[in-house]
Amino acid sequence: MRPLDWLVLCSTLTFIVLYGLYKGRGSDTVNKYLLAGKTMPWYAMALSIMATQASAITFISTTGQAYVDGMRFVQFYFGMPIAMVIVSATAVPLFHRANVYTAYEYLEKRFDGKTRALASAVFLIQRGLSVGLSLYAPAIVLSVIFGWPDRLTTLGMGALITIYTVTGGIKAVTWTDVQQMLIILVGLLVAFVLIIRMLPPALSFVDAVYLAGAVGKLNAVDLKFDLANRYNVWSGLIGGAFLALSYFGCDQSQVQRYLTGKSIAQSKLSLLFTAVAKIPMQFFILFVGAMVFVFFLFERPPLLFQNLAMTELQSPEANAQYTPIETRFEQAFERRKDAAIGLAEARRKGDGARRAEYLDQFQRAQAEINRARTEGAALYVKTHEEKGFNDTNYIFLSFVTRYLPAGVVGLLIAVIFAAAMSSASGEVNSLATVTVIDIYKRHVRQNAPDHHYLWASRLATAFWAAYAVFFAQYAKKLGSLIEAVNMVGSLFYGSLLGVFVLAFWFRRVTGTAAFAGMLAGEAAIFWAFWFTGISFLWYNVIGCVVVVLTGVLVSYFKPARRAIAETEPRR
Amino acid sequence: MPDEPPPFLGTWPRVYTAILIYLAALIVLFYAFTRIFS
Repeated sequence: MRPLDWLVLCSTLTFIVLYGLYKGRGSDTVNKYLLAGKTMPWYAMALSIMATQASAITFISTTGQAYVDGMRFVQFYFGMPIAMVIVSATAVPLFHRANVYTAYEYLEKRFDGKTRALASAVFLIQRGLSVGLSLYAPAIVLSVIFGWPDRLTTLGMGALITIYTVTGGIKAVTWTDVQQMLIILVGLLVAFVLIIRMLPPALSFVDAVYLAGAVGKLNAVDLKFDLANRYNVWSGLIGGAFLALSYFGCDQSQVQRYLTGKSIAQSKLSLLFTAVAKIPMQFFILFVGAMVFVFFLFERPPLLFQNLAMTELQSPEANAQYTPIETRFEQAFERRKDAAIGLAEARRKGDGARRAEYLDQFQRAQAEINRARTEGAALYVKTHEEKGFNDTNYIFLSFVTRYLPAGVVGLLIAVIFAAAMSSASGEVNSLATVTVIDIYKRHVRQNAPDHHYLWASRLATAFWAAYAVFFAQYAKKLGSLIEAVNMVGSLFYGSLLGVFVLAFWFRRVTGTAAFAGMLAGEAAIFWAFWFTGISFLWYNVIGCVVVVLTGVLVSYFKPARRAIAETEPRR
Repeated sequence: MPDEPPPFLGTWPRVYTAILIYLAALIVLFYAFTRIFS
């Protein structure tokens, strides 16, 4: 990091905090603090929803994923527009008309207190585990790239979000999310333009795209149905839709964004705008990663992008095993480079025979490079007994710090901070809301004055921000548990979704049946997790279906003693 | 809280249909992209 980078980074972060403080003024009632007084326009909610969803690690690793695995990850988002349409048509009007602060509050109006308590507890556990990771994951990447102490980075990010989140509530969170999302988009655009400009002058943009596609980096759609394949069009459309339904329909960190809307129409528009913008945005991020791949066709990349791993591999202890891998890697790189130049030229000239010949050489050299990288990573893992080593997260940042000019590096590090802070602040804010509304106000103190709950909300926000930092400080010691924590969302979302499906569409289902359904749904998901090889995207489908079936069956055999007419009219 | 009509296309079902058509078009476009460059 050069002085100009520090200037860009510090001024961006200062601006975000000051802007948050400015926009969060006047949050002096619980309604204003937790729901922004229901005054938010659609575009602010939409950008806030997108910013909360895009964590720093998503941004860092998505580009790396395209480099390694191609663009097939974009299919993960195909179900989102379907989910957004369903949430807009059902959950948004119901939540707005029920005049609730949290999605789980609605469950008590529809079912009973225990279903609300269980759903709130599931949310607090799941989101509480992930909030620390939102800060920890980028901090650990930055510590490897720059040598910054990860504890200091998480503490810094935590302190910044505490300042504006505690004082300004959701208004501050939403408006800073807007700024953060814009910074992310500008940063990505600048990176893309610079990558294209840094490609060899003889190479046209179409040549670059052609070369990326020649080794499967532009595999955006896979039509083959396979339950064990995480990313194909079917898992994206079905599994992705269920995941997005759970996230946008039942997760308070998202529900709270659109509950701040000044009208039902504004909330719907915010979700539908996200549905329209999200897939092209993810496609663009992946495409940036594919272009980084093309850049490294002509500029020799390191065997592994994680510089600490490379230093260790080059140490005397590992060098004897490392050198032959490195030699093969270098030779394969030269062959791939020559083949890429020849292939681009043959494509331009329309020479089919030469094209086939160079394509074969190009693909074989790429396969050799992939093998060398896999062996290098395996050697590092073997010599250091490091579980969960993942080089993908370091590819884009390694490129940024080594090749991009002063100022732009600072901007892209600011992008990572912005993404981490927008996710964490949204999570902290929603955790505080559920703690106060669903736990404290419901079970501890029911009839206190408004300012009492306002201060309780501020204290809860400060608590969860401190918790996030504390969790992040000790996340490293969790070791492989981190992977388990990453799975937590998919382990709980299906049953949460199932209970809301029962609430919205099954009039005769009782509270006890819904509660039993949630427990059965969780049991089914854990069964799938432990005893089958089914990809995690399908857990939401399994959990939701089991909850609904159990809820309907239990209600059939144990019908309600009184008619269910206490809440909203249902479709 | 009453539900207002959308600012375009007249009714919400029409807006939802437009979003789903847009999704289908994106998938077709991405599929063509995959086929052309693979």
